[in-house]
Amino acid sequence: MAATLEGQETKAETGSEPERRKYPFYVEKPLESGRVQKFLEIMAAIVRHTNYGAILNIYSRTSTKCARCSSACQVFQSTDDCEDIPCYRTNLLLKVYRRHFTLGGMMRGRLLGDPGLTERDIDEMTEAFYHCTACRRCNLECPMGVDHGLITHLGRYILSEMGIIPKALLVSVREQLEGKTGNTSAIPAPAMIDTIEFLEEELEESKGVPVKFPIDKDDVDYVFFPAVSDFLLEADTLMGNAAVLYAAGDGDNWTISSGYFDGINYGLFYSDWILERILQKEIDEVRKRKGKKILIGECGHASRTAKGFTAVYGGDEVVPVISILEYTHKALMDGKLDLDPDAITERVTYHDPCNMARSGWIVDKPREILRSFVKDFVEMTPGGAENYCCGGGGGLVSIDEIHDYRMNVLGKTKAEQIKRTGAQIVVAPCANCKKQLAEICEHYKLDAEVKGLHDLILRAIRLKPPQGNAESQPAATEQPAVASEIEGGN
Amino acid sequence: MDGWLAFAQGPLFRLTFLIMILGLARIVILTIWDIGRAIRRGPKIPLDYWGLALKTLGWLIPVTKLHRQRPVLSVTSFLFHAGLIVVPIFLVEHIELWRAALGIGWPGIPRLLADVLSFFVIVTGLILFGVRCLNRRVRSLSGPIDYILVFLLIEIFLTGFIASRSFNPFSYNLTMLMHVLGGECIFVLIPFTKLSHCILFPLIRLATEIAWRFAPRAGEEVVRTVHGEVKPI
Repeated sequence: MAATLEGQETKAETGSEPERRKYPFYVEKPLESGRVQKFLEIMAAIVRHTNYGAILNIYSRTSTKCARCSSACQVFQSTDDCEDIPCYRTNLLLKVYRRHFTLGGMMRGRLLGDPGLTERDIDEMTEAFYHCTACRRCNLECPMGVDHGLITHLGRYILSEMGIIPKALLVSVREQLEGKTGNTSAIPAPAMIDTIEFLEEELEESKGVPVKFPIDKDDVDYVFFPAVSDFLLEADTLMGNAAVLYAAGDGDNWTISSGYFDGINYGLFYSDWILERILQKEIDEVRKRKGKKILIGECGHASRTAKGFTAVYGGDEVVPVISILEYTHKALMDGKLDLDPDAITERVTYHDPCNMARSGWIVDKPREILRSFVKDFVEMTPGGAENYCCGGGGGLVSIDEIHDYRMNVLGKTKAEQIKRTGAQIVVAPCANCKKQLAEICEHYKLDAEVKGLHDLILRAIRLKPPQGNAESQPAATEQPAVASEIEGGN
Repeated sequence: MDGWLAFAQGPLFRLTFLIMILGLARIVILTIWDIGRAIRRGPKIPLDYWGLALKTLGWLIPVTKLHRQRPVLSVTSFLFHAGLIVVPIFLVEHIELWRAALGIGWPGIPRLLADVLSFFVIVTGLILFGVRCLNRRVRSLSGPIDYILVFLLIEIFLTGFIASRSFNPFSYNLTMLMHVLGGECIFVLIPFTKLSHCILFPLIRLATEIAWRFAPRAGEEVVRTVHGEVKPI
């Protein structure tokens, strides 16, 4: 299958002049003709079957176009290009809706000879919806309450159904849903098991205790889904996760299921249908293991998709979802974590993943954890719900061919923020943020390392050796486990 | 002129007012229908109506939502909206018209307050019009109707403000005719333009919240409708 990159040329459907269509990323199987008709067909089907009709109607009626959102958008702040104003971007899709799906728009179009959607509009939307990281910071500033991130999601959804989707996202999802390995990083289960056996050895060597990563254990409280890339790239994060579970008395009360072990869900970035299918795999795996809860590792979008959509797609008996950050915070508050206050001497700052913080869901907990053992913790401002996106949100971090754009435009504000803190360690509890922030630090020559929250915990945590029979987990029996106490519903 | 004014204040007023009421009723019913359908299709999980109401109310109180980079513009916008809502409804002369026509009335605001609020609407309206014309960001988002609406609103308040003043260079009847016709244009435009946020505002955040609750199996139905079958990725 031929991939298409910027500058690919195809013939216009009507008219004799060739029209340049620039895809800003590699696209497999781009539609060569009939794009306008296809776009409208897809939009009609989505309006008919989904819940987007309500917001298309109300947004197109009420959007006041005050441009206040521009002050919140880091893309606009970097480019100063009016086409990067969130409201401008949203209006690209609302214009199509008004013109083709409302009576007034159709009549006005006829009267004024407005042809409606054009090839150029589709190109503009493709570019616009993939300039946006869907961080939803602009939503905080919109007096009307227009959610531009939701419109970006919808715009990408329509485009994806006509084949306009970054190849990087597509191939990952294909492997996850239809491939042999069933995960986005294409890690075979035996390789994953080898990895965690190695991590267990590492943990025993460094901490002197047999911390386990239980595999395929049934009837446990937690079935663990990290961002699967952690198995390749973030060994310290995973070891930190396991160490906390051990210390909290749940060392044998969680499992990684070799049938499916990927928390990543790129559906959030471009398709309701993909989101539903991936989440269903997660829910099915938990039910197969007779697990009680979904425990999500350090990953923003994985946490949000599980937390926000398990109730949507999970049927009548909703599986509760907990982020590892919530779990660790609870363990800390219960006095179950012994963290060495002298272990981390560097200046540390915290980056809020948008998918955890924007709604106010996970803001204070990680800060409380860090402040409990980090000597020199500094805030990044603005932070919390008003944080700036790392610049790799919305799946853009996976698109290597837009690396320069991610660095020079999307990551510029974050680089300035990090620089102002003077931090030597930037903590980011999200696989995507970590990748983007590490690249930013390198690109802007910032003297900072990017780490997961549990990477630091791993350095600081002091684990008690098991007592009695080494095969059992005395820590789990001596004290009440966090599992039995934590509230994890949606 | 007297005949025109009488026509504008009589049948034309009734017609345009009716258009506004019916138009607003239509979009409110359609919006509630949309939201209701989305709730029925979506998952059966409780909605935080109270939280959404508080969020919506928060945007009606400018103190909590001042634009940090442009606080003056936020205050300007608030004063503009406050006058737009209060003066037409609570001006004593307007209430008298209702009382004469339908026999219904309500307490009005003091004349001085009405004058001050009207003055604010004119001044802040001119500022907002200026911003729309001169600010590159706002201009890039604006179409003709965005300018027309602000212009019309300023015109209505300006003519209303000067109609019976000694410094009015025009005749009372002409000024009043312009005032009434301007108001009637707005009546007709409200349901069909962004001014409809005057009634839909409380529903926007609710609609957004519900839109994030995707309808189960809807994605598959979209695929089947568009592609006929579910194909490999």
